[in-house]
Amino acid sequence: MKTFRKGIAMSMKDKQIERRTFFRGAAVAAIMIPLSGTLASCATSGGGDSSTGKKSKNNPFGVAANSTTDAVIFKGGYGIAYAQFAGKQVSKLQKGSTVKVTAQTNIAQTLQPRFVAGNPPDVIDNSGANLIGINTIRGQLEDLTDVINADNYEGKKISDTLYAGVTKPGTFDGKFVQLNYVLTVYALWHSESLFKQNGWTVPTTWDEMYELGTKAKAAGKYLFTWGKEAATYYQTLAISSAIKEGGDEVRLALDNLEAGCWSKDAVQQVFTAMKKIIDAGYVKPGGAGTQFTAAQAQWSDDEEAILYPSGSWIENEMKTQTKSGFTMTGTPEPTVTKNSKFPAAALHSTAGEGYIVPSQGKNVAGGKEFLRAMLSKDAAVNFAKSTLSSTIVKDTIPEDGFGSTALVSQVKMLADAGTNVFSWNFVDLYGMNTDQLVVWNTFLSGVPPSPSSRARCRRSPTRCATTTR
Amino acid sequence: MTSTDTPATTRSGVSGPPVRRRRKKFSFDRVSFFVVFLGIPVVGYLIFVIWPFLQAFYYSLTDWSGFSPDMNFIGLKNYVNLFQDSIFLKAVGNSVTLLIVLPFVTLVIAMAFASIIVLGGPSNGPIRGLKASSLYRVVSFFPYVIPAIVIAIIWSFVYDPSAGLLNGILQSLGGNWANSFAWLGNPRTALVSVIFVIVWGLVGFYMVLFIASIKGVPAEIYEAARIDGAGRFRTAISITVPLIRDNIQTAYIYMGILALDAFVYMAGLEAGGGPGNSTLVISQRLFTTAFTKGQFGYASAMGVTLALITLLFAAVVFAVNRLTGGTNEVSE
Repeated sequence: MKTFRKGIAMSMKDKQIERRTFFRGAAVAAIMIPLSGTLASCATSGGGDSSTGKKSKNNPFGVAANSTTDAVIFKGGYGIAYAQFAGKQVSKLQKGSTVKVTAQTNIAQTLQPRFVAGNPPDVIDNSGANLIGINTIRGQLEDLTDVINADNYEGKKISDTLYAGVTKPGTFDGKFVQLNYVLTVYALWHSESLFKQNGWTVPTTWDEMYELGTKAKAAGKYLFTWGKEAATYYQTLAISSAIKEGGDEVRLALDNLEAGCWSKDAVQQVFTAMKKIIDAGYVKPGGAGTQFTAAQAQWSDDEEAILYPSGSWIENEMKTQTKSGFTMTGTPEPTVTKNSKFPAAALHSTAGEGYIVPSQGKNVAGGKEFLRAMLSKDAAVNFAKSTLSSTIVKDTIPEDGFGSTALVSQVKMLADAGTNVFSWNFVDLYGMNTDQLVVWNTFLSGVPPSPSSRARCRRSPTRCATTTR
Repeated sequence: MTSTDTPATTRSGVSGPPVRRRRKKFSFDRVSFFVVFLGIPVVGYLIFVIWPFLQAFYYSLTDWSGFSPDMNFIGLKNYVNLFQDSIFLKAVGNSVTLLIVLPFVTLVIAMAFASIIVLGGPSNGPIRGLKASSLYRVVSFFPYVIPAIVIAIIWSFVYDPSAGLLNGILQSLGGNWANSFAWLGNPRTALVSVIFVIVWGLVGFYMVLFIASIKGVPAEIYEAARIDGAGRFRTAISITVPLIRDNIQTAYIYMGILALDAFVYMAGLEAGGGPGNSTLVISQRLFTTAFTKGQFGYASAMGVTLALITLLFAAVVFAVNRLTGGTNEVSE
């Protein structure tokens, strides 16, 4: 692209400039060229012509014989092999029908034209950094209640096999439009072996956290580390902690973005406690300029930091960059006081990796059938085994967690929490993460000292003390 | 098209010489020439440039989400919101900063290098450059051969606070403050760090461009200047710059357009807009607004604004060149 522009620059010179500025300015417009012809036609096209076959016990949605299902799967930490596995399960049961699994990393950019043209895929794994904000398309999606009311491939009703509350994050105004497949537990992760070796315990309150920070510093380590694209993991930690402290009242205030919700006592107490830790220098500096996986490796490989707040995908994500003997273990997020509204074992857990079935797809029944296969025992166990993560289907993880300490601790945390499991939606629902990253990078950086002021500090420490306060 | 020139031919056969010229005007050769070399490009231009531009303008007047065929016409509301959107205004500010700094810094350095390489040699004998000038020319062109995104990713590793090359070198030179210093994570250094990378990547290209144009200037002029006692710096300012000013103007405009975009460099170095949004540029904001926030109408308004700024910039550069006595007509 760059060379192309320069090529024109050399040969055609200034006459071209006006044309080129137009072209540049119309960057957004350029994206829309392919759409212009289709805009008019989509009013008439639509889901009505979705082909269906005869419904039966083995074919509850009536997948047409010899049909193809177009599945677009986000290719991230989990890969797409698990989806191909489920696709094969479908073709085994529905003779002649196949599932075409396509890997994709930029869901929003690649599928946007297909949505506008009224020609979306039959089933989409709407995930990753470039997912389609669910709020923008939820009106065009199928209600998936009939999927979880159907029987799975082993003949059990699907809704009875799922963890509690997993349909909540995908339900909007009473319509269940997004099936979040992967159960995610948010926690503070550490290496049990490292903690044992040093005689540390995982803190349950922020005061204990500060004390642990002091001990870690004495051992030449930091309490936390962060990366610029993942600074909001600390927001997730803060919100969890505030909800555990202040109860559902805090959760609802934040989720509904009530005026003054960030000023609630519980929220402010957590922020103040975090600020104390940051100011004490227990957070590894430089995170605002560090790529997030590099920062995570400082925790899992170099053990420069001893704790990291994240979702349970962390083990799989850092698989190749984890020190041997690093027994990754999760514990619930801390509270502010010992008499918090939620018990210490309460857990922030939700389902992620959202699957959607657009109503305008050519093979809506096929899309639903694919989800039915995914929710059946074979596919769910296959997923847990190959990605070391739990799906929303219960009882798919054996006692030894396929040899993963993280997975074992995840199952234990869920059991300990019982019904004290909570979550919130507002960050993803309104696409707020990009804006919040800016705030959190600044907060975690503390007062950013410039090179010159640091140099001043070396020359005269007293002057430095007055300038940084 | 061929059907229209058939009647013309028959008529001219009857009417004689005066109309003959008309026949020549509409001959198949001539018409097909116009169709191929004028008609098709104009149609392509209208379809692929003007029409999308008009569409973008129309979308900027709607609340289109981008993922459905439905939209409502909301007039200029998007534009009103734009000018009250502090983050967008911050992005405009950053883009304008880049627009002012980048072309100037890059072209001054490129010009200096080009002068040294072509004219900086010994002051006796014919006008010539440094001894190994062709080697320098090739070496300084290297960064341009690397795609922008690769440059951005490589430099983000160089700037890494803990394991980066830059902090490593600074610390080995005794700069203890450089331990974990986040060049891209500190609002005071982020923009400067990014500007350095872009300049590093493009100086070589503009240097080669200027070398070519300086070589087009007759050597006699330089010899005359030297005989009159002009030093190298004086020669560069009073002889080289005025004689290649058209090239400088072109380079300035292209550099300016690149500075207003800067999307690729930013995507690799500061995908999130930098600390405190200190490196957020319009194109980045446009992208997030469209694709993660699902506000294509609002994003289109940003695109139109960016286009207007670009046009304004080009106009200013032309005006400055004209007012300072340059030819307005472009050398063909």
